[in-house]
Amino acid sequence: MTDATASTPAAPASGRRQSISLFRQDAHTKRRNAAETRFKAYGLTAVLVGLFFLIVLFGSIISNGLPAFTRTVVELELTLTQEQYEEAESKLLKTGAYRDFFIAAFDRELEERGVEVEYDAAALERILGKIGGNLREFYTANEDRLGQPVDFELSTSSRIDGYFNGRLKREDVRDSRFLMSTDLDLADELYAAGIMKSDFNWNFITGADSGVDNPGGAGIGASVVGSFFMMIVVLVLSLPIGVAASIYLEEFAPKNRWTDLIEVNISNLAAVPSIVFGILGLAVFIQFAGLPQSAPLVGGLVLTLMTLPTIIISTRASLKSVPPSIRDAALGVGASKMQAVFHHVLPLAMPGILTGTIIGLAQALGETAPLLLIGMVGFVARGYPDGFVSGFTEANSAMPAQIYTWAARADASFYEKAWGGIIILLLFLMTMNIIAIVLRRRFERRW
Amino acid sequence: MPVLWIVLIVLALAAVGYVLGRQRALASADGNSRKLHSLPSFYGTSVAIFTMVFSFAALIVWMIVQPIVVENRVAATISPETIPEGRTIGLMMSDVRRVADGLDQAVAQGAMSADQATSIRTEFTDVRERLGQIGVALGSDVGPAVLHAAQRYRAMSATGDLAMTVVVLGLALAGFAVAYSRTHRDFRARNVVERTIRYILIFAASIAVLTTVGIVLSLIFNTIEFFRLYPAWEFFFGTTWAPSFSGRGGGSELGIVPLLWGTFYISLIALLVAVPIGLFAAIYLSEYASPKVRSIAKPMIEVLAGIPTIVYGLFALLTVGPLLLSVFGDDGLGWMQAGTAVMTAGLVMGVMLIPFVSSLSDDIINAVPQAMRDGSLGLGATHSETVRQVVLPAALPGIVGAILLAASRAIGETMIVVLGAGAAARLSLNPFEAMTTVTAKIVSQLTGDSDFGSPEALVAFALGMTLFVITLMLNILALYIVRKYREQYE
Amino acid sequence: MSFAKMTASTLAIAAVSASAAVAQSRDNVQVAGSSTVLPYASIVAEVFGDNTDFPTPVVESGGSSAGLKRFCEGVGENTIDVANASRAIRPSEVETCAANGVEDIIEVRIGYDGIVFASQQDGPAFNAFEPADIYQALAGQLIVDGELVDNPNETWADVNADLPDVEIAAFIPGTKHGTREVFEEKVLLVGCENTGAFEAMVEMGMSEDDAEGACIDVRTDGKSVDIDGDYTETLARIDSNPEGIGVFGLAFYENNTDKLKVATISGVAPSTETISSGEYPVSRPLYFYVKKAHIGVIPGLKEYAMFFVSDEVAGPGGPLSNYGLVPDPELAATQDKVANEVTMSEESM
Repeated sequence: MTDATASTPAAPASGRRQSISLFRQDAHTKRRNAAETRFKAYGLTAVLVGLFFLIVLFGSIISNGLPAFTRTVVELELTLTQEQYEEAESKLLKTGAYRDFFIAAFDRELEERGVEVEYDAAALERILGKIGGNLREFYTANEDRLGQPVDFELSTSSRIDGYFNGRLKREDVRDSRFLMSTDLDLADELYAAGIMKSDFNWNFITGADSGVDNPGGAGIGASVVGSFFMMIVVLVLSLPIGVAASIYLEEFAPKNRWTDLIEVNISNLAAVPSIVFGILGLAVFIQFAGLPQSAPLVGGLVLTLMTLPTIIISTRASLKSVPPSIRDAALGVGASKMQAVFHHVLPLAMPGILTGTIIGLAQALGETAPLLLIGMVGFVARGYPDGFVSGFTEANSAMPAQIYTWAARADASFYEKAWGGIIILLLFLMTMNIIAIVLRRRFERRW
Repeated sequence: MPVLWIVLIVLALAAVGYVLGRQRALASADGNSRKLHSLPSFYGTSVAIFTMVFSFAALIVWMIVQPIVVENRVAATISPETIPEGRTIGLMMSDVRRVADGLDQAVAQGAMSADQATSIRTEFTDVRERLGQIGVALGSDVGPAVLHAAQRYRAMSATGDLAMTVVVLGLALAGFAVAYSRTHRDFRARNVVERTIRYILIFAASIAVLTTVGIVLSLIFNTIEFFRLYPAWEFFFGTTWAPSFSGRGGGSELGIVPLLWGTFYISLIALLVAVPIGLFAAIYLSEYASPKVRSIAKPMIEVLAGIPTIVYGLFALLTVGPLLLSVFGDDGLGWMQAGTAVMTAGLVMGVMLIPFVSSLSDDIINAVPQAMRDGSLGLGATHSETVRQVVLPAALPGIVGAILLAASRAIGETMIVVLGAGAAARLSLNPFEAMTTVTAKIVSQLTGDSDFGSPEALVAFALGMTLFVITLMLNILALYIVRKYREQYE
Repeated sequence: MSFAKMTASTLAIAAVSASAAVAQSRDNVQVAGSSTVLPYASIVAEVFGDNTDFPTPVVESGGSSAGLKRFCEGVGENTIDVANASRAIRPSEVETCAANGVEDIIEVRIGYDGIVFASQQDGPAFNAFEPADIYQALAGQLIVDGELVDNPNETWADVNADLPDVEIAAFIPGTKHGTREVFEEKVLLVGCENTGAFEAMVEMGMSEDDAEGACIDVRTDGKSVDIDGDYTETLARIDSNPEGIGVFGLAFYENNTDKLKVATISGVAPSTETISSGEYPVSRPLYFYVKKAHIGVIPGLKEYAMFFVSDEVAGPGGPLSNYGLVPDPELAATQDKVANEVTMSEESM
């Protein structure tokens, strides 16, 4: 431990006993150099361990999540007459009627083509996904297309989809009302005939959540937007407030009880379980202030309170690490304390502040528990907000909440979707990080 | 006038004030800025501050107060007889608000003229249908009482909005005028500006205290309710955690001790993983790695902090648990019964915490002045000796902060514990047994299915409160110790 | 300085936009509650949004307890309209509701949820289950030679020679779940009574309450593991333990027949048919509760409730039963109740 100090007086003593050469290391130097190599190796190992875990995690995320980006569709031309349209619209379950028309058309098409495998209408029922919503949406928006042939590409059921993306093995299939093993023969033939094909699942990237029986319709797009609005709130509030609080505590605060109280409070808030912030958010923002439920604004406010301690602690640490000489020099040439801090200390502390912000935002972006109580976890499928301002107040979900909900659903196809959602979440996170890193690189320096 | 416009006008005024104030100050010093007390920009800023502060304060207060006043006065005009049975005045008022909003929208979309909106009568028009045509959904038919109230609501809001616009803009102009007239080369503009900034800083720092007050207030009532139903002694000193769903057969045992032990044990293991790895990684990245390696490796490790905890939970459950089981389980050393254990959760949580330690420490180590390193290296110390004896002690306060932050995260983490450590509360020293933490139990009791007035559900609040108090005491202790032993480098 | 200005204007804008939001009226139905009802509610909400001009309702998860708590917080737009529950509302909760002004509650039973035991597809088959076997395998203490001792059974074969000779490893719902109550009442307690252990305990001088408590007491030596998470967590546990057996909802099992093998109880395999006929014993009703004061105020609330219990949706062959909900044979009565807005207090009169 005390090599450096002990060796200095020892050197002349040993020098008297034997001649030393700069080219030959004595035992002591060897030991010190070995310690040096070891120390460096520990450091490298630590970095590699970190990267190793990252790679393992990424590997499992990507291998589990990639199937979410493809889907199996049925391509079919459908002609819906005005009468059929009116009949469907007169029912309570309109989407069911549309689906029945599609299945009937599908049946006719297969008959014309002369499919070899035997099947019945129930098999088509099992092969197709929950497509009534798509059909109704199309025809109510384009009534002029009634009576004309329209090409549709509609998703298959999650099990057929799983069969083609390798999740479901033929030998594992147990006959149930969701899938019979004979359906796979039909699916194989349809695939060979080109009626069924795999393509990129744009709906997953752009769509909103869907019911548990409709994995084909589920998308993460709407919740990406929800997370985006939440992150705006968090960034806009937590960064200025966090930095301002740290500057006050680190540079201006007199040492008194009040400052101590603030200080203890901040480090304590970092240890408060995130769900408690949810309890707070429900009580203060929704029940007391009357803000809308399930709104990204409330989510953002709750996450702001949650990330503030992280940002404050890291900002204070980096303010603290700016050498006093910088302040002294600024004050010496006549700057006020305020000017010294804002013009000289703050820019130098910026890398650390940005690191704290990255970590704080990353934590906020991935957090589910506080959203549980303010109504953003569950089934929130209102789609995209109408405008920028309503994006803050309209009910929406957030990415981690969406992933959490999907991971709990019974259909294994949602499990893939959850991992796919994690990929999107990480992409979002990395975009955010890259911006911060570019900024950090501009500020980073050593003196 | 829409609020956004008012805000923009005030901001524009402030901008104009900045420019004019600056010019006036310079003019009063004959264009020679050296004769000024403060820099010219301070004069400009002080005018901008005076323009904005009072007007925005008035705007915010007005916007909070006006709806309450209008609502109360409109509600007072509704006679109790006209409230349909089974309705409260509050619900009727939300109907009123909705109709008023709808009329506003109708006017905005041009479906109705402003006169029509104030004069339509339910006797002649089906308001619900009229509004339905332009996409305003109303829950029920609009009765005459509601429509009248809605029209009054609109009238009063319109008056209020007008008054608000006048008052806010008036205040902005007044502030502008006062500040502008005061602007002179001897005016101490910098002191005004810096004092304002200081108040803003103090306010920002106080938000943490407000948050704490909020948390305590939102937990305290349910906590008291819990202690009315369940003896405090057994909660704090009971060594069994066994809630029963129905309270059948002797009821639940809700002792916090095993949960606290689990929290402590899992956090300890997590820190034993995260601190050495994170610290060594930080040292390597800031002292040894080339800038290129550093610029890639550091952000990569930071990504570990951003992976959602549910991924870590699944990683613990599906990968780490079985792996540990194959080594320490019945086939190996025989210490482990099942994949979910303190060790599993602790290891995985440690991985998650690595960037908390490494990234923050790295920045802090990087900020240690190069002169200190050069001095040490110049005296013949090796690089590692410099790091251990010069750089680390200098960076220690920051590193301790980073470790405390990591520890805080470990205490507050839920998902990894739920999936990796199991749900069983147990007092044991064996790290290969399943245990659980306070946080995990807060979540599970809060999101459970039991009667919301029962001790089993309310215990979540008591757990939250207890954990809050314990961490608060630990933090006070930490502050005391740090104060006592902090090394002054200045 | 620009930084301070930014802070100030940010705060102002945040406050302004926040208070602007207050005045807005909610146009979607807000539902919260049980995570068991959530899948069904999400199906209905999606179809409701697809089939009507009302916006898709928001269905939150968070448990029956939290859902009912928020339901009973009061009336008004910033409270929820519907609470989902996997158990009936308790009288004490109705009182709290009434105290907060939520006096008129419509109780809607949507159907039944079957609870099944299942093991890994490649694992041993459990085909001779009786409630008594499960009781004897999982109880904390058993009566052996007239004395209460810690459960000595190590393998399923120890309990019943017809069962496979594998170590007992059961993953049962944690005490936070409503499913746990059903498991205790319909499996453990029944098993306890069937084996005669209940009577023996009463004869040993225990009160009936204590005896019931002892019956539903689950062993804590690691052979039985409480799962506080969802069924997906139970599935993951089963995946990593070929000898394990877990408790699932019927719908969850039916969606995962390629991974799970179901166990029969008293020789009956669970299915919507055997559950609605009562042959399969372990099931429970699911509910949602509607705030009557919000009907007519929140657009689409009554329509949502009517849609939920309509024959096309909740009846046999509808999307709910297709997913695994056991249809309520008395659905028509429920439809009348919703149509006429009959509240709980009117019902009990």
